[in-house]
Amino acid sequence: MIPESHFLILGAILFSIGLFGALTQRSIIGILMSIELILNAACINFVVFDKFLGNSDGLGQIFVLLVIAIAAATLVVGLALVIAVYRSSKTVSAEDINLMKW
Amino acid sequence: MSGLIQQLNNIGIPQENIIKVTFYLIAAVTCFFALRIVISRNVFHRALFLALTLIGVACVYLYLGAEYLAVMQILIYVGAIVALFVFVIMLTTKIQNRAIRQLNSQVLISVVVTSALLCLLISIIRTSPWHKPVLPPAGLLNISQLGRSLALNYVLPFEVVSLILLAALVGAIAIGKAKKE
Repeated sequence: MIPESHFLILGAILFSIGLFGALTQRSIIGILMSIELILNAACINFVVFDKFLGNSDGLGQIFVLLVIAIAAATLVVGLALVIAVYRSSKTVSAEDINLMKW
Repeated sequence: MSGLIQQLNNIGIPQENIIKVTFYLIAAVTCFFALRIVISRNVFHRALFLALTLIGVACVYLYLGAEYLAVMQILIYVGAIVALFVFVIMLTTKIQNRAIRQLNSQVLISVVVTSALLCLLISIIRTSPWHKPVLPPAGLLNISQLGRSLALNYVLPFEVVSLILLAALVGAIAIGKAKKE
């Protein structure tokens, strides 16, 4: 079968791409998408460790279910914030939003 | 699908090789789509690439024997979250405007930092010995075992997540609501 390290390397690649996106995107929507990628990479690692190293109670898969629910919750609040910011300042670029800075 | 595998078996290609080849293909395609999310210029295309990447991750879950998670991934992420992204993109950006620069001025140093981190992670993964568990792995975990475990052993985090979802619902409505004149 496919060794567990290859799944973990896939997770590491997805995590790196997500981190690169979160560091370099200009729009808030792009940053949120990159954060979703990072969460998915972590979820892959949870399932891999549950299958190859865990015992039979499925804790890794339960963690992934909880992570999916919390990711959905944070994303809903984040996108509501995007809409609120767009309504007040007509932009979604993270560099132009400095309402709370000065 | 199983009929196709049977046919390929009959020609002499073993099932092991089919599984391996399809896995590496899916992994490569998933990484390619994930890269397109980050570097694509059109914001709307990014949402579609995000959907494809999430479907690829769901396929990886299938290879790991987590069918329930794969179905939930497609239902929640692709069905709900990508739709939410598409709505927000349509409400806030002009998607015909293609020539917008999407990356900021930290691209070079970010490439260096993330590729260094990736090399570090891969070397750690390849060199660390994975200890075998004390208990023997129980094989495939079916949905009823998962549900029993969620409802008996881990019921507290389950309830806390339902509370978080309620708070997020109220918060999203309160933040996104238009102010009265």
